[in-house]
Amino acid sequence: MKNKRAKWLLALLFGVAATLPASADEALVLIVSADSKVEQLDSLEVRKLFLGMTVAHNGDRLRPLLNEAEPRLKEVFLQNIVSMTDMTYDRRVLRLALQGGRSLPVVYSDKSTLINSVAADPTAVSFAWATDVQHDKRIKILRVLWHD
Amino acid sequence: MPNSFSRISNIVILLALCSVNSAFADHEHMSNELEVFLAAEAYHGSGHVHAADDDSWVSADVVFGLTQHQFRVFGELYVTPSERDLERLQFGFEFVPETVLWIGRFHQPASAWNTEHHHGHYLQTAITRPFIERWEDEQGLIPQHITGALLESRRPIGEDGAIQISGGAGAGSSLTHETMTPIDLIGDNPGRHRLSLTGRIAYLPEYVGTSSFGVLYGHDQISTGSPFVLSALNSRHAILSVYGVYGDWNSEPWRIIAANYYVDVALDPTARNESFISGYLQLERQLPNDLTVFGRVEDSARMQESKYVALFDDRNGDIDTALRRQALGLRWDYVKRQALTIELSHVVSLNRRSDEVRIQWSAVVP
Repeated sequence: MKNKRAKWLLALLFGVAATLPASADEALVLIVSADSKVEQLDSLEVRKLFLGMTVAHNGDRLRPLLNEAEPRLKEVFLQNIVSMTDMTYDRRVLRLALQGGRSLPVVYSDKSTLINSVAADPTAVSFAWATDVQHDKRIKILRVLWHD
Repeated sequence: MPNSFSRISNIVILLALCSVNSAFADHEHMSNELEVFLAAEAYHGSGHVHAADDDSWVSADVVFGLTQHQFRVFGELYVTPSERDLERLQFGFEFVPETVLWIGRFHQPASAWNTEHHHGHYLQTAITRPFIERWEDEQGLIPQHITGALLESRRPIGEDGAIQISGGAGAGSSLTHETMTPIDLIGDNPGRHRLSLTGRIAYLPEYVGTSSFGVLYGHDQISTGSPFVLSALNSRHAILSVYGVYGDWNSEPWRIIAANYYVDVALDPTARNESFISGYLQLERQLPNDLTVFGRVEDSARMQESKYVALFDDRNGDIDTALRRQALGLRWDYVKRQALTIELSHVVSLNRRSDEVRIQWSAVVP
């Protein structure tokens, strides 16, 4: 009886672990569509883009898509790439909107919708956990932004 | 006070822009923005001082923008129970990234405070703005709106820094009775609106950062036919030359904003020219639990001797022009995009002193 309960507990733990994005080797990657002409973006360009400034590559103006599918994903991105807290970032992009009507990055709270949007738009740039996009042929990974 | 035609026009323009917004929302390379900055305020002042125009009990600042390729349209509509003004309406073309030529009505770039905060209370840590930065319809001393052309550019310099250059030229404010009136895009425009030239050159230690330090310049030609102004100034014309320096230093949890303006008022040969100085320093410190404490000191020199400054003091029970002010406050960002702020201040104006307390709720939607 005890053995059976332990097996159920173990199965439950594996089940829960499988749904969590956090793992010992998690990596945050910068992604574009497989059809995108963009081959690389440096850290300053990524910061400019997600702070509402204009970044163009081969004549195309890039469009930032903010991945809010998981709170931790956005937190890691803002802390390590944009170097801001969520509240400071929000006030910063609002200020840019107030100063010149600049468009704020489009927010996606659903992972699949975000990946589909990136895949469909060659000017879109976003970020995601590597495990969510590494086998998707429609997505090009530009580089690893952060890893555990 | 706007007439019913201008009220309707404001609404029609906003609805038209919103519908254009929706129609093109899904178009490739089209992006749009609509934000509403809301605020509600309670005020009490000692010495029978009334709330000023800047202390409307409720206000909404509607900001809308549309970008397609290199073209931009941008507007700001400010609404209070007594005011509905299309504060900015700009049509822009971005030649290269971060260099935009705008045509329309805009905020003059030689104001350190207003080009940062505009009419959106939520993004301004303090409740009040410094007296020298007040808008024209709040008995402000320096014209703040121009209708014409504005060039804005941010270029990289050195490893991480940037130089920001802004220059505006166009029709400035007219001077009727005790208020300056900028060009109203949809209403009446009494008086003569003459040339206004303003600019700033700023250094940003970080291209994408928020700290900047710079110099400001403004040249405003003002004419008047008002008997009241003529008798007060003994001059039909005034040329304002504004020379300023400013710094906005951000290093979390600290922020310091400081500006100082030297204002020269050249009058007709029959009158004596004047000049005065006004400046302020605001210090902010973020604390745990999303609290921010702030303090500001405003000071001036020779303002009490200026006939030009006295012109804007309408003596109707509020304080229009302060020689000095000390303010202290606390802001609490209790939830994302909403804040509560309390501000205590001591004001010395041209003819009275007052202790004031303000409490404000501010927010942004969506």
